[in-house]
Amino acid sequence: MKQSPWLRLIMVLTYIFIFSPIIVVMVMSFNSSQYGTLPFEFSTRWYELLFSSRNLGRATWLSIWFSFLVTCTVSVVGLLTSLGLRRMKPKWAQSFIAWLNLGVVIPWLVLGVALLMIFNFVGLGRSYPGMFLGNCICVLPYVVLLVYPALMALDRNIEYAARTMGASNGRTLFTIVLPGILPALLASSLMAFMVCFNNFVIQYYLAPFGVRTLPMEIYNLVRVGYKPDINALATIMALLSIALVLVVNRLGRGKEGKFLEEL
Amino acid sequence: MTKSRIKTWLLMLPGAGMLLSLVLLPLSLLLLFSLITGNQISINSDLSFSNYINIYERGLFGPLMIKSLLIAFFVTLSAIVIAYPVSYGIAKVVTPRWRNTLIILIIIPFFTSQLLLIYSIMVMLQSRGPVMSFLSIFGADPTRSALYSNFAVYLILLYQFLPYMVLTLYSSMSKIDDNIIAVARSMGAGRRRVFFDVILPLTSPGLLSGIILVFIPVAGSFVESNLAGGTNGMMIGSLIDSNFSVSLNLGRGCALCVLFLLVISAVTFVIQRSIRYFAGRRL
Repeated sequence: MKQSPWLRLIMVLTYIFIFSPIIVVMVMSFNSSQYGTLPFEFSTRWYELLFSSRNLGRATWLSIWFSFLVTCTVSVVGLLTSLGLRRMKPKWAQSFIAWLNLGVVIPWLVLGVALLMIFNFVGLGRSYPGMFLGNCICVLPYVVLLVYPALMALDRNIEYAARTMGASNGRTLFTIVLPGILPALLASSLMAFMVCFNNFVIQYYLAPFGVRTLPMEIYNLVRVGYKPDINALATIMALLSIALVLVVNRLGRGKEGKFLEEL
Repeated sequence: MTKSRIKTWLLMLPGAGMLLSLVLLPLSLLLLFSLITGNQISINSDLSFSNYINIYERGLFGPLMIKSLLIAFFVTLSAIVIAYPVSYGIAKVVTPRWRNTLIILIIIPFFTSQLLLIYSIMVMLQSRGPVMSFLSIFGADPTRSALYSNFAVYLILLYQFLPYMVLTLYSSMSKIDDNIIAVARSMGAGRRRVFFDVILPLTSPGLLSGIILVFIPVAGSFVESNLAGGTNGMMIGSLIDSNFSVSLNLGRGCALCVLFLLVISAVTFVIQRSIRYFAGRRL
């Protein structure tokens, strides 16, 4: 079809809208001015300041370890759930997934508050186990939404062949099924990691008193106002996100669009 | 048969257990907790509607809920208006190579911290920032800032949630057979007709999930309005949050959550119905 110049203009403007703030922050992070004003003077002092901050360092490590733990747990649970879903009638599997999606659709504010109340009720309160469980349930839908379709796309005849040839259940799982869905599994783990790593709201409600994850630390910094070392932090994190997106894209090959349409 | 049944159940157990105990149970218990007055939650506390009466008497819920719904409505509408041409362009106009690049670019915000996205818009809007400096060419005062207003909250929310709408619409758009559009055009349908009679009905599943993914979280957001809303920036989410993090009135907070969930489900239901009706009628 003939290309309209308006369409092209809208697309360009939209992408500018999405990326100019990130790019501005990246540029500002190398500006020596305290208030982000011009003229531009190159400096890396904000990065030095960032790396000398002990609070941020501790929060970053906590977030990385914590997200790693959540990712490992949820990947296993998500895989088991997807394997189970595959054995169910598709109608039932779809309705289970619809219920699971509540964890994505319901504002995390409401979910976080509800979890805080029930953890208070059973005496867990704000604690690491509570924060762990809360983040798991937010991330689980993402894993199932990526792994379950990949599992359904596998040719089951290969599994049946392996079974007839005498391979045990476990052997079939590890030599046929897992290698077949490995890209989806890795992509979903990365997705889970990032969602958990950035999940401010749930951590804000469920983190133990006095413990601050990286998103909570950033929240406190941003509330104060403009601070050039946040620019440096934002630049590093944005570059990491871009790198991870490229990796996921390599693994998933357009699975992202698929996972969203399932919702 | 039964053995295989048991195996299925065993596999489902962890996931289903988490769903039950961490989503369905807490949400249903919100209803119970909302009937408890004050802070103490125990089995034998008295139940009453005093929280609801209190909320009614304070009169904050109604205005804030309407304001949040309005902001969510405008954010969702703007996202739809922008996302339709963009997703159409990605799915139908550009070359496959570009398509992949553009999709990767639109996914990047998903992987970036929500707080850093908020922060970067705040940098853009602050006094003497890029936007105000640009506007000062046209005579605006560069030392003023566009921050701490409802508009700033709207812009931040649109910025955060636009990619969701683009992706959901794209996934529906890419499934439309090019020939259908070509046939409609060759039969003499104008651009408007093609959009309303072909593209809109065929993308309505993506549109519906996009609306759910944008409208509900935006209506329930509180971080954006806390950070960039200023003194008049309160949304319903901020009110709920303040009952838990500032004034510690847990029962009232739960009651607010229940009311919020009721209103938002009703509104979403009406929106879904009307879009189904509108798209279906044209088919």
